[in-house]
Amino acid sequence: MSISLTINGETHATNRDPLTPLVDVLRDDLALTGAKAVCREGFCGACTVLMDGQPVVSCLLPIASAAGRDIRTVEALSDGGELSPLQKALEQHDVVQCGMCFPGMTVALTSFLASNPNPTREQVKQSLVGNICRCTGYERIIDAVLAHAQAMQGGG
Amino acid sequence: MDASAAVMNYPRRDARDKLSGRTRYTVDRSRPGMLHGAILRAQAAPARIVRLDVSAAEATPGVRAVITGRDAPGLHGIGVADQPLFAIDLIRHQAEPLAAVAADTMEIAKAALAAIRIETEPLPAAVTMEQALRPDAPLVHPDWTSYEVLFEGGGRSGNIAWEATVVRGDAEAAFSRPDVAIVESNFRIGRQNHLAFEPRAVIASYEDGRYHIETSTQVPWTVRNVTARVLQIPASSVRVTVPPVGGGFGLKFDCALEPFAALLARKSGRPVKLVNSRQEEMLTCLCRENAELRIRSAVTGDGEIVGREAVVLMDCGAYGGEQIFLTTMTAHTLLGNYRLGSVKLVSRAIYTHTAPNGAFRACNGVYNTFALERHTDEIAARIGMDPLAFRRRNVLGAGDLGATGQVFEGDALGPMLDRMAAVKASRPSRKAQAGRRLYGQATTVGTWFVFVGPSAATINLHSDGSASVITSGVEIGSGTMVQAVPQIVAAELGLRPEDVIVRAADTDAAGYDVGVGGGRTTVSLGAASRAAAIEVRRKLLAVASQMLQTPAEKLELRDGRIEIAGIRGSGTTIAKVAQRAQELLGPLSGVGAFTNSPVVSQPGCARGHFIEALEIPIFAVHDCEVAVEPETGHVEVLSYTVVQDVGRALNPRAIASQIQGGVAQGLGYALHEEITLDEQGRIRQTNLETYRVPLATDVVPVEIHLHEGAPSRGPLGAKGAGEVPILNVAATVGCAVARAIDRRVEQIPLTPPRVLAMILDKAPAVRLPHIAERWEDNVLPRPARKS
Repeated sequence: MSISLTINGETHATNRDPLTPLVDVLRDDLALTGAKAVCREGFCGACTVLMDGQPVVSCLLPIASAAGRDIRTVEALSDGGELSPLQKALEQHDVVQCGMCFPGMTVALTSFLASNPNPTREQVKQSLVGNICRCTGYERIIDAVLAHAQAMQGGG
Repeated sequence: MDASAAVMNYPRRDARDKLSGRTRYTVDRSRPGMLHGAILRAQAAPARIVRLDVSAAEATPGVRAVITGRDAPGLHGIGVADQPLFAIDLIRHQAEPLAAVAADTMEIAKAALAAIRIETEPLPAAVTMEQALRPDAPLVHPDWTSYEVLFEGGGRSGNIAWEATVVRGDAEAAFSRPDVAIVESNFRIGRQNHLAFEPRAVIASYEDGRYHIETSTQVPWTVRNVTARVLQIPASSVRVTVPPVGGGFGLKFDCALEPFAALLARKSGRPVKLVNSRQEEMLTCLCRENAELRIRSAVTGDGEIVGREAVVLMDCGAYGGEQIFLTTMTAHTLLGNYRLGSVKLVSRAIYTHTAPNGAFRACNGVYNTFALERHTDEIAARIGMDPLAFRRRNVLGAGDLGATGQVFEGDALGPMLDRMAAVKASRPSRKAQAGRRLYGQATTVGTWFVFVGPSAATINLHSDGSASVITSGVEIGSGTMVQAVPQIVAAELGLRPEDVIVRAADTDAAGYDVGVGGGRTTVSLGAASRAAAIEVRRKLLAVASQMLQTPAEKLELRDGRIEIAGIRGSGTTIAKVAQRAQELLGPLSGVGAFTNSPVVSQPGCARGHFIEALEIPIFAVHDCEVAVEPETGHVEVLSYTVVQDVGRALNPRAIASQIQGGVAQGLGYALHEEITLDEQGRIRQTNLETYRVPLATDVVPVEIHLHEGAPSRGPLGAKGAGEVPILNVAATVGCAVARAIDRRVEQIPLTPPRVLAMILDKAPAVRLPHIAERWEDNVLPRPARKS
């Protein structure tokens, strides 16, 4: 039976097993390799996507449960090749290292900032507990997020 | 050239694609017609293979190739060639490869693995180093005497894969002096997993009689040479290219899956992709090894260390690998930092029936520094001296002798300790934040090095005024290939760093390179690139001199232009000169090379060492404050401060990022990361649920101070900055916790149960019965060497 997925605004029909994790369809069938299958158990957050605006780990999301929902991947954050303001802040603060965790982290932070536009340092830290980074030691990411949030507030 | 032209906070050029999910790591790549590979791994070890029947796998529809040990007869290793690609006859560790398949889909590949029939016979095991060192221990390598020795000088016997010793001065006399206190400390350390986010992954193909290996590695040339060795083919028939690497930390400083994929590609005639699952990564991680150490010092009442002896046992797992080399580094770390009157050291890599260990950011330097600094605190307590004053009195300075008798240049640790003291004096203690918890603070010192070795670079200067740099350097995330290298080349050629293209590693295009690790990338690849740029600059200036009718020495290059010195607008653009040069001479290029230069140690003092003296030492001073909850043993880090010797900071912001990240990894090692083994030698932590790495809420912002000016042969005086930040973290946290709870800290990680047991005096002291009381009884008998 075919399952219809709405990904980054486009509809895709797939005949894969309904229990197939969404991350496999994104990566193997749609060439959306931004979501990384690092642990495949929901611990690392590197495969985070937005489902109806909420962050979910796509390694634990069977495609049957994603059917008919609005799925946005990291690739949609920089639509048309233009980085989102958050991504620009992370770029400007030079916080990226190996980069494997950043797609998932950027998706999670985008959702977090949408509901917490003016967070405290502690709130940003708490928001990142589902996104492991092995390279950076986090603090500079948090600096960049706070600077970005402040700039957005300042800019109205 | 003015060195300051290369110094800037130049941002990463790869951040944009990494942030938007467009970077294609090896795991993200595919090729037309690509097959999926999978490896059958041993469930239990040690065992003898009675029967391995792959006929059902071969007959499975959709299976295109099946390979076993018969296809890869060669042995490889570091120092000793002891490791086959597949287990042949003997299975020595859990998860050792037995066979591999390539199939149209991963599902078919897995089904084919399940169809392989294997019968094994269990053998007696030596799982711990204590078991492996018993006189009647089963040998992990019964044929050890038949192996090819690739580097001479190490002691070897049975389960002792390698033994390195240092003997300098008369330690016996020092320990017999009536005026010394003798302080002895024992330590036991577990394994640490890198947990690089991108697993080891490879795509291999066989085209025009040659292998093309596209892989996630730090060492393209090791992959080329080891693949050739185990497949018994000419190394020139292997081409290795490397896409962006999603984290290495030393895990990828060895050949891994590449020969399997190469063989499967050859046999199937199709490209083959092979990727480790997370579970395979956990079971076959080349961890920072577990180790057991005894260190003993003879110290006078006024704090002079007249003698030091140590025995260090390093678990190499079933194959020697990196640990054979790392026996070398014990002398420079455990017996580093301080002036020593006399020295006796034995460092042994021990075979066990467990998964092999490997290299991990600052390697054994991390636990050796932990052991040394804790021992140093115990000495200071014994002789009643302030631990900081004891360190200040004894740290190595200009003209002092190191463990192996090398004479150190320049003063680094002393001024760095002074700087740390000044930083601490300038701000309040965090003690109040500890509240009713136990407060502890410690300042430690550490010594590591640059693993220099050969590097090569070629630079082409194009007629549009851009340059391309061709090396075997790999961008693993540290930023060297996207920041330091273009910064150095741009400064030399008067270009902007963004005009300098850095080619991804390709062993067909670039000369030999040791690899990206050991803090060597900025130093060796940077120096080779700088040498190539200097040649291009010379050729460019010769043409410009003609064009501008001005002697070359009166010309300067900057901002994309060549000007008559001091007169802006007097010259022309570099692009125009490059065009002119191309017309006159053909396209402009330059080549550069770099390697280590000999540094002298005291002759006859070190045996079995791959490096007898440190060419470019790197020093670090760390400080931290902790609060320990007495009811639970929970440790909170209140502050963390680093003073790091960087030679010259080419990109201070990028260095700070490396320090923050390295300290975070060190905090994980100090407080909660540990791989443990069960009675059968199986790794217990097989995923991220059971192996806990630091989360955002576990880390603190590190206060960072860069110490510049210590001598370095690196380009523009630079040293490696990415490896060393992890070096003294376990030491500093360990010393601070020991002071907070007033107990001997002999083990890490300092998990709440372990700390609580210490507080309650329920933690048994570390006992090492397999280390003999007399130092000499821990050393293999060896013929006397002619002096």
